[in-house]
Amino acid sequence: MANYSTSQFKNGMKLMLDGNPCSIVNNEIVKPGKGQAFNRVKFKDLITGKSLIKTFKSGESLESADVMELDMQYLYNDGSVWNFMDTESFEQHAIDDSSMDDARGYLVEQDMCTVVLWNNNPISVTPPIHVMLEVVDTDPGLKGDSAGTGGKPATMNTGVVVQVPLFIGIGEVIKVDTRTNEYAGRS
Amino acid sequence: MIALQKKATLFKKIREFFDAQGLTEVQTPSLLNTPTTDVYIDSIAVVTNKEIGQKTHKYLHTSPELEMKKLLSQGSGDIYQICQVFRDNEIGERNFNEFTLLEYYRLDFDIYQLMSDISALLRHLGIHDEVVKMSYAQAFNQFGKIDILNTDFESLKRIALTHDLNIDFEWIEDLQMLLFVHLVEPCLKDLPVCFIYDYPSEQSALARVDGKIAHRFELYLSGVEVGNGYDELQSAKSYQQVFARENAKRQQINKPSFELDLEFLACLEKPLPKCSGVAIGIERLASQLFAT
Repeated sequence: MANYSTSQFKNGMKLMLDGNPCSIVNNEIVKPGKGQAFNRVKFKDLITGKSLIKTFKSGESLESADVMELDMQYLYNDGSVWNFMDTESFEQHAIDDSSMDDARGYLVEQDMCTVVLWNNNPISVTPPIHVMLEVVDTDPGLKGDSAGTGGKPATMNTGVVVQVPLFIGIGEVIKVDTRTNEYAGRS
Repeated sequence: MIALQKKATLFKKIREFFDAQGLTEVQTPSLLNTPTTDVYIDSIAVVTNKEIGQKTHKYLHTSPELEMKKLLSQGSGDIYQICQVFRDNEIGERNFNEFTLLEYYRLDFDIYQLMSDISALLRHLGIHDEVVKMSYAQAFNQFGKIDILNTDFESLKRIALTHDLNIDFEWIEDLQMLLFVHLVEPCLKDLPVCFIYDYPSEQSALARVDGKIAHRFELYLSGVEVGNGYDELQSAKSYQQVFARENAKRQQINKPSFELDLEFLACLEKPLPKCSGVAIGIERLASQLFAT
């Protein structure tokens, strides 16, 4: 893979850092009045999702990471792996349960997801911003409390628990914001 | 108010502040015969008078410091200047080849008096935030758990490695600066106005040294370095030593070294009066001042 020097760094660039593919979130050039220039760079580790800050001497270089983001359709989960299909190439990718993180609570069959591949292996899945999920368990709502006083927890068909308004009952399909795990309306 | 007017008001208020205190505004040449010897600052070279057969190499000033010090040594008294300066090889969000410096000198001031004076200037300009003053050693101790004045180069390299930092440096001061940028500076972002003072002697630049400490300070506004001040060296000999040391360092890292500024050294036959001086980047100050 190619190497990129600090002068070529830009936001979103995917680079290898300590063996993990990372994405540049922010690149700051700092030149002390009486010193040499440094680049203070904020990275997001694409595998762990953690962010980290590194400071380089200007001119240092890092190896680029072979990372691709693809839109794929979620097919099914067979218990240990989650199966996706590239709707253009019809290539199928199986993603290990351990790489799913929070995404597993929002996957609805046939939804389009963003899958990140590193060296052709999937490393993370981002579900659509809004997904439609069915309430499978929640306490019965209290009549006359429709003003909403914070709501109540409800378990979805995917297993994730979302805070919903009191009037929502079992069997209803609701819209959930996957970025915040918040109720975003009824179907 | 549009940005142009805001900047004009800033200049007006700065002049108001200094004029009220009786400082003299000066203008010094920006086209110099000698480039700076500062290791990490590069002068922009220009060729003049070629077409009339008197080709001369000149250099745009990187700061008005030495020219102003010539005036001080000749008895100018307290002086200030606002001017454009030029530095090669500087491009970034906050670094430019050309920018505006406010530079001023106060006779008989030490750095503590000068820091108080700058705090008053900032208040005059409308910055009323709490002023935090922290020594370089305190800052390193608080934000990096490092006893910076008592850690030698090898030990500092070991510490840098634990932070996954490059340790390929020729001199301890460069590694001190890397650790400062990595560990301390990000913590200064929460402080609207912060002075860091008493630098390690290795980073003395043109400041007076007292044992392990150089009487130097920097002004940080929300984590951005805005000003740099010294309790100034006075004798020609002390300046000559610094220039020679910087030149030697430039050679060591394969940068061009330069003739010493003999005009300046000759001028300092009459040494500088005891004084402290500071350079403040106007654009950086303005961007902090007018940040919403």
